[in-house]
Amino acid sequence: MIRNYIKMAWRTAIRQKQFTILNILGLSIGIATCFMIGLYVYSEMTYDAFHEKADRIYRVNQPNIWRNWDNLASNTGPNVAIALRNDAPEFEEVTRLLSIGNQIVRSEHNNEISIYNEQQYFAAEENFFKVFSFEFLQGSPAAMAEPMSLVMTKRTANRYFGEDNPIGKTIDVKDWEGVWQTYTVRGVLEDVPYKSHLQFDMLVSLSSFSDQMQRDGWKWIWTAFSTYGLVKEGTDMKALTNKIQSIPPKWAPPTTERIFNQSFEEFTNGHPWTLDLQPLKEIYLSESPDFHFFGPTGNPLFVTIFGAIGILVLVLSSINFMNLSTARSSKRAKEIGVRKVLGSKRKALIKQFVIESTIFVLVSTFLALILVQLSLKTFNTIAEVQLQLLPNLGRPVFLGIIVLFVLILGIASGSYPAFYLSMFQPVETLKGKISNRFRGKGVRNGLVVFQFTISIALVICTLFVQKQLAYTSSLDIGFKKDNILQIHNIEQIGFDTQILKEKLESSPAFSKVGKSFGLPPNIWSGDRYKAKNGKNEVVQLRNVRTEEDYLDLLGVEFVAGRNFDPSRSNDKYKVILNEEAVKLLGWATEETFEANSSIGKIVALASGDEDEFEVIGVVKNFNFNSVRQKIWPLVIIHHQNDKVWDYGAGLSFYSMRLNPEIVKSKVDLQKVINDVKTDIAQIDPSIPFEYSFMDQEFENTFVAEHQMGNVLNIFTILALIIACLGLFGLAAFTAEQRVKELGIRKVLGAKVSELALLFSSEFAKLIVVSVFLATPIAYFLVDDWLTNFAYRTPIDFWVFVIAALCAFLITMVTVSFQTIRAASANPVDSLRME
Amino acid sequence: MLLQLNNISKWIQSGGQKVFLLKDIDLWVHEGDFISIMGPSGSGKTTLLNVIGMLDDFNQGEYTFLDQSVHTLKEKHRSNLYKQYIGFVFQSYHLIDELTVKENLEMPLLYKKHGGSERKALVADMLDRFNIVGKKDLFPSQLSGGQQQLVGIARALIANPKLILADEPTGNLNSKQGEEIMEIFKELNNEGVTIIQVTHSEKNTSYGSRIINLLDGEVV
Repeated sequence: MIRNYIKMAWRTAIRQKQFTILNILGLSIGIATCFMIGLYVYSEMTYDAFHEKADRIYRVNQPNIWRNWDNLASNTGPNVAIALRNDAPEFEEVTRLLSIGNQIVRSEHNNEISIYNEQQYFAAEENFFKVFSFEFLQGSPAAMAEPMSLVMTKRTANRYFGEDNPIGKTIDVKDWEGVWQTYTVRGVLEDVPYKSHLQFDMLVSLSSFSDQMQRDGWKWIWTAFSTYGLVKEGTDMKALTNKIQSIPPKWAPPTTERIFNQSFEEFTNGHPWTLDLQPLKEIYLSESPDFHFFGPTGNPLFVTIFGAIGILVLVLSSINFMNLSTARSSKRAKEIGVRKVLGSKRKALIKQFVIESTIFVLVSTFLALILVQLSLKTFNTIAEVQLQLLPNLGRPVFLGIIVLFVLILGIASGSYPAFYLSMFQPVETLKGKISNRFRGKGVRNGLVVFQFTISIALVICTLFVQKQLAYTSSLDIGFKKDNILQIHNIEQIGFDTQILKEKLESSPAFSKVGKSFGLPPNIWSGDRYKAKNGKNEVVQLRNVRTEEDYLDLLGVEFVAGRNFDPSRSNDKYKVILNEEAVKLLGWATEETFEANSSIGKIVALASGDEDEFEVIGVVKNFNFNSVRQKIWPLVIIHHQNDKVWDYGAGLSFYSMRLNPEIVKSKVDLQKVINDVKTDIAQIDPSIPFEYSFMDQEFENTFVAEHQMGNVLNIFTILALIIACLGLFGLAAFTAEQRVKELGIRKVLGAKVSELALLFSSEFAKLIVVSVFLATPIAYFLVDDWLTNFAYRTPIDFWVFVIAALCAFLITMVTVSFQTIRAASANPVDSLRME
Repeated sequence: MLLQLNNISKWIQSGGQKVFLLKDIDLWVHEGDFISIMGPSGSGKTTLLNVIGMLDDFNQGEYTFLDQSVHTLKEKHRSNLYKQYIGFVFQSYHLIDELTVKENLEMPLLYKKHGGSERKALVADMLDRFNIVGKKDLFPSQLSGGQQQLVGIARALIANPKLILADEPTGNLNSKQGEEIMEIFKELNNEGVTIIQVTHSEKNTSYGSRIINLLDGEVV
């Protein structure tokens, strides 16, 4: 019997080619989309699962003690681990990772010197590998016990030493004072898996930094560490979390007293200094903390959005499938009648149709898997992920899911047509009456409206994402970010860089050259300040060191006072504020803003030493971070100010404004860059040459949004295609249904154009309804998404109109083929049937 | 006695009035009868045939088939009854276009759960009997109307029914094909199969033993 059903399904499919192709194509696209998104979501949700003890590993988070106590941060001071070891025996191991920023690493191998600026370079404690399961290819975890030793991944070892055995070889790393420190390679690791929230190329032993860690003052506020704990099996996590809350108040007070001259209570200002234990597997996708020093973080919003889209697209294509199958029933009415007369029970018919639809789903699934495999590479590039299908196919769980998926989808999308089709009375179907009494019309129209509502809503959302991206990149950020070339690693030259500056200034390609110790949009460093003779309250300001030329180069506008003046040597202890800082320090309010009010006032550091600096200028607010955020209060410090603690430390950069009359083409630009490279190499050949362009860096702050925009575009187009396939099928069906009616109208004198209008107006109505439903949904979603940004594109009405017009146009094009066919048919043919 | 209709009436409500499709029909059919139902268009011939074939309901009266009162039976039992004892032949053949001749013949057996080898034997018998062995792998669209109706009859017969109901079996055929089909009905009747046919043609009635004339739903 089953064979008979399969045979029947096959021959029907062949006979009704148009329906079959529409059905399979639509369903395959839907399933492929769903699978692709499924792979993505699965991949995002299973980060860090490869660690053997993953279920027992927790990261210790604490409030952001520097800025916002309400925000959870992933970094702690070094002594959180010490305290946990002391007070919480529930931990089998507690280990630390230290972020030390980019490092210049040099090695000599086969008489060849290689120098790299290592970005993924951290310090790890010796028990790191007892907690995490990174695989050793050579050496052993004991390697991390000794100071000045390091392990590197295979890829990194290859980079420095080629095919040679790196064990026992040495590399030199430039330390904070510019002195080369020698480390010995004691282990080689397998490359870090892609799905790991920790991404490193090199790990040096944390014991190499024991001196700094011993400094009393730093123990609780040197928050460059991440602390991870491995709990013993069967630990009651709730009890443990409660228990460790008593640790900071017990251990941190000596630090706050020594450094800030404040009691613990004064320092926390009433905020609880909590310790939060976050399961390892949740770290990557966690909303809070949303950042850490040691690798990538996922975006839970994207996972939610795409998960929802995946399910929607699948639902859309299943609806199509049901719709088309049901519509097809008139063609099969006779078969159903004959089968009933010949003895088929209703159950047997239902079984037949469910089996038929399951076969369809099976074929579509198979096609979908091929589609996914074929488009995986493109998708990986666009979404910047590394998804894989084939290795997953070998896993029984995955296969089980696919089989289950086929069965569920087959039964679900086959059951409606099955029940519907098997309901007919045989006498009626044999007479062909069913066509005229087709009752599923309301349902089918409802499904089409549903599909188009979703598609139109997606189109609107996509348009707004693009609009927001265009808006943010065109925003006036307060200075001219185009045509600025930036050279990095200037701190490697040393503090005095006058020679380089003179060389750069002599080039006609640059209209302005300036040095700074931070670059927008990445000015993150800040400190605690207070206003003398203002509100005597400690506030957090961002700070950046620059020379006067850099401010000129940016073209920021002074609203009061003046820029630093190199001819006045006292200027090095003066500061410049932005408008926000003036307000925060309490010298002006939003309403009565008067920039001059702050000139001559005194700002004091509130981190232990109370050095005082006079304000000489106020600049108009400019975006020194991504335009995602509001502008933070900023204090600009003179580059030679040696009273602020970071004098002589930190990264520095030269920025050059390109002269467009000299640098006209890419070739010119490349030549300019090469010249700068030569200039630096003449000063010190060991300095890695790196450059960037400021406008690109600003674009990069929206890289995730651009990615999301791209992926959203693809899925929106897919959803539209699926909806159109459905509409096309429905139009074909309706054309068939109404062929007699249209024939009669034609005999009675209707023109082709009138018939076409009559026919398409039915679909136009559906689209109008969809537009009305989609508009509020899209508005709500867009409005919600835009709250992520400080600067929002207005939700303009015309975007909705454009989306509606697009939907209309697409609909009309889709149904026009059927419209014309139905309207221009010869009535003699259509009326002869009776 | 194969079946008996007593006072059968069927009507529809139209504008608050009863419109009779069948009115007070009495009919006795004995095994071995060959009955022709005649009448003009709209006289209720097909409705009567459908009522006899239990494909259609009636509003009033009694229907006894092989000593079972059909009007008291539930839908499910009724359909079991007709599936077991009645074969249908249609004016437009109603073969399934997607199945070959052989598969079309096999289908009723599938629903009656006959085993594979038994099905094969029965299908082979039928093909033999109607001389269509050579056509067994062709699809309906590849056959002439007469040949299609031959398959239709073979399919009606394959489950060995006691009664064949034929609704204008020659209506779509030319006169020569029509004659052949009627000859076959005659032969079947001689072999003991009861036949009730609806027909327009006087000539076809001559093959049967009794004629029932209908007009506006009543026997005249």
